[in-house]
Amino acid sequence: MTVILRAEKLSKRFGGLKAVDSVDLELSAGEILGVIGPNGAGKTTLFSMIAGSIPPTAGRVLLEDKVISGGSPRRAVRAGVVRTHQIVRPFQNLTVLENVMVGAIYGKARPLGARERALDLLDFCALRDRASQLPGGLTLAGRKRLELARALATEPRVLLLDEVIAGVNPAEALQMADLIRSVREKRGLSIILIEHVMPAVMRLSDRVIVLDAGKKIAEGKPQQVVKDPRVIAAYLGESASAEAPGQAGSAASPTPTSAAAPASLPTPHSNPTPTSVPRKGPGGKQ
Amino acid sequence: MQRFTELVVFSVLLAGLYATMAYGLGLIYGVLRVVNLNHGGVIMAGAYLGWLLHEKFGIDPYLSIPVVMAVSFVLGIAIYRGLVRHLPRGPAGGVQSLLLLFGVWLVLRNAAYLLFTGNDQTIRTEYSTRSIAAFGVALSVNRVAVFSIAVLSLIALHLFLTRTFTGKAIRAVAQNADSCTLVGVDVERIYSLTFGIGTALAGLAGVLGATLFSFNPSYGSGDLLKAFVIVVLGGLGSVVGTAAAALILALVEGFAIYWLPAYLTGAVGFVILVLVLVVRPGGLFGQRVLG
Amino acid sequence: MKLLPHWVSRPALAGLVVAVAVGAVLPKVLGLSVYSQNQVTETFLFVAAALAWNWMGGYLGQVSFGHSAMFGLGGFISARVLLALHLPFWMAWVVGGLTAAAYALVWGHPTLRLRGPYFSIATIGVGEATRLVMTYWEDLTGGSSGLSLPITQGLKSELYWWALALMALVMASSYALRKSTFGLGLLAIKSDVDAAADVGISPTLMQDIVLLLSGFTVGVCGAFYASYQNFIEPGDMFGFDRSISFVLMAVIGGVGTIIGPALGAVVFVMLRQYLIGSYPQLYLGIYGLLLIVVILFEPLGMMGLFFRVARRFGLMRPELEATLEAKAAVGGAAADPGAREGSAP
Repeated sequence: MTVILRAEKLSKRFGGLKAVDSVDLELSAGEILGVIGPNGAGKTTLFSMIAGSIPPTAGRVLLEDKVISGGSPRRAVRAGVVRTHQIVRPFQNLTVLENVMVGAIYGKARPLGARERALDLLDFCALRDRASQLPGGLTLAGRKRLELARALATEPRVLLLDEVIAGVNPAEALQMADLIRSVREKRGLSIILIEHVMPAVMRLSDRVIVLDAGKKIAEGKPQQVVKDPRVIAAYLGESASAEAPGQAGSAASPTPTSAAAPASLPTPHSNPTPTSVPRKGPGGKQ
Repeated sequence: MQRFTELVVFSVLLAGLYATMAYGLGLIYGVLRVVNLNHGGVIMAGAYLGWLLHEKFGIDPYLSIPVVMAVSFVLGIAIYRGLVRHLPRGPAGGVQSLLLLFGVWLVLRNAAYLLFTGNDQTIRTEYSTRSIAAFGVALSVNRVAVFSIAVLSLIALHLFLTRTFTGKAIRAVAQNADSCTLVGVDVERIYSLTFGIGTALAGLAGVLGATLFSFNPSYGSGDLLKAFVIVVLGGLGSVVGTAAAALILALVEGFAIYWLPAYLTGAVGFVILVLVLVVRPGGLFGQRVLG
Repeated sequence: MKLLPHWVSRPALAGLVVAVAVGAVLPKVLGLSVYSQNQVTETFLFVAAALAWNWMGGYLGQVSFGHSAMFGLGGFISARVLLALHLPFWMAWVVGGLTAAAYALVWGHPTLRLRGPYFSIATIGVGEATRLVMTYWEDLTGGSSGLSLPITQGLKSELYWWALALMALVMASSYALRKSTFGLGLLAIKSDVDAAADVGISPTLMQDIVLLLSGFTVGVCGAFYASYQNFIEPGDMFGFDRSISFVLMAVIGGVGTIIGPALGAVVFVMLRQYLIGSYPQLYLGIYGLLLIVVILFEPLGMMGLFFRVARRFGLMRPELEATLEAKAAVGGAAADPGAREGSAP
């Protein structure tokens, strides 16, 4: 597996706060890498550095051995790395089609044929019937798909998805997950995704890394990572990790939902309900 | 050395006035996210009101401050309730409120021309020419009075915002208006009140300035710019930041007037602004006013 | 027509041709007096200036209260060139325009880091600072006495055609700047500058281009004005009133629309004529009231009214109206500079 994107000792400091602390990351071609961690762990900041929106305080990001960090978002996009936003940001004054066209035109400076490429992407993201509408008229799921389509229009090699599934209803979440998979399969992209919706992360990711308070605390296959006591401690607090490890199968895995919900990770096929927008920090967080 | 001390002392005294000017603008922006482009107009109106009270009724300008502030306060509330309130909140309303308030400024300016003609006016009292000796410098009574009143007002404002319930409500609304609605704060009332207070501060700055400088209906755009530079430099919400920024501006201006030919001094405010933008858009204390 | 880019619609092209044709035959058909013809010349000029202002204020969403700086600079540079070098006047206009464009870039590039209202306040500073410096710079502007150009016989009526051509060119450019892929990028920047950057747009580059274009055009308008009036003085050319007039024309007609400012300019010139005649001491207040009324009741000015009426009478689909209004709307997600911090006083 060739490594397509590499982050080396990536750090970001805001004043006195170290939002991201020396994180190493490798993304192989065609891989889907999940990034999880409690709120405030620095996941979005990490994305922002990889996508060029903010410069790292230390460390660098390489796309196939070419440094792309520390420049502008445009440089990253031209190189082939594009991100979506945690809170969707469609261009409210442009139609759905025009939104995607912006990505098609400016992503790689290819104005010719932009309209056709954009229409294709709308088909791909099930938004074709909304082409001439304004984003305000879409549901949240629609806007997330629009954000995805717009990002895809820039013809990236690496796609950074920031919580594309969180906040939508179960059926839409399934649709989104399928869409992400087909992005990898049909378009040959490599994907890093931040997600709070555990079933989705587990099902989609080939590998997962876990961030807590800016540091990478675990890395590996999804099933391994959720059993890691450090990860459980990060989500649920120290005492929970003391009780939890060793319990087989589905029971012991943390979900970043309110403590009231059963701390079980639904196995695939049984309960595909994504627990949405888990903003209450369990354990010691917030 | 004498000159130097003079310059520094004058600048410090002037900074008090500048801080007062800036605070009104910053308060309205911090709470309502609206830039009161009418700020200069109210400063001008305050100057004329103070002048009028002095000319017609012989009221000492410093004693007329409560009246001027009260009238400005009411004016502010009227502008908010009558006009600003109807605009969409948030970024969409940004340019619209700008243009709206600019329109109000034009109306005020025209009213001033009609009522008072375009001639320069000043408020001259019998003590205007007197001075106090301090720090080895002859300080005009007016400058000392303006400084003292400005400092007192800012302290009073600070106490109001930190110690009273309404003041805390105002600060809460500035942070998160939606949450305030949830806990029962009447956000609309707070907006009205804040607009009124911000306008009152502008009126205060106007009458204070009128005792120091001559003014005419075009007065105010320079002050608007200075207030803006201070808000950007000092960051929102920090009284210390505002004070520091006002001081810096006054000092730079003072020295610029000393060193530069007369026609360039008007550009000082703008040059400082560009420098701040380029060097430290986050303001002195990192409380970003800019994106 | 294969000569034209695909985004040029036939109705728009027809509209432009009609407008030019009307302008061409207007003097003969209406039997205009010299005075009236000159009024129309001025109107054409202000249409051009208002449209150029709108590229910054409406297309980019950055309202400038200081555009008189470019107007004046273009005027005085052109006048000086004419006085010194005896070039054909249109060449002097281009020189004036280029100088104005460069100036716009110099103050505009750093200032555009400011967003929304903060940029606007800064432009007040630019306008005033420019006026002050220029008034004192007697070698360039002649100080408060101003500059006179030698009067050429018949120039004013010849200028009618130049104004028509200038206006047509600016109208076409206005259309292109909105409808082209460049225009799409501008709309994206206006809506959400950070998101625009995140999909590969370079906001600073595009803003600089608009600064240059707007500055150049307004500069040429100033240069034209100098040739037209034969006398210019800094207080008027660089004045705040001058800057206000651009804002007003665009707002009355419809900020952010393609031809709104053109309509606004026509109305403004007529209004100004009326006010100078009947209520000269009220013009500021009337302008102010007009701004207030337009913003409160129909933020998109005349074009907004037109859209509403067209939809009401079934001439325009509501969807289209919504799209056009969205494009014209100034201010988007990232236009509010303080939105991220919730700093309390």
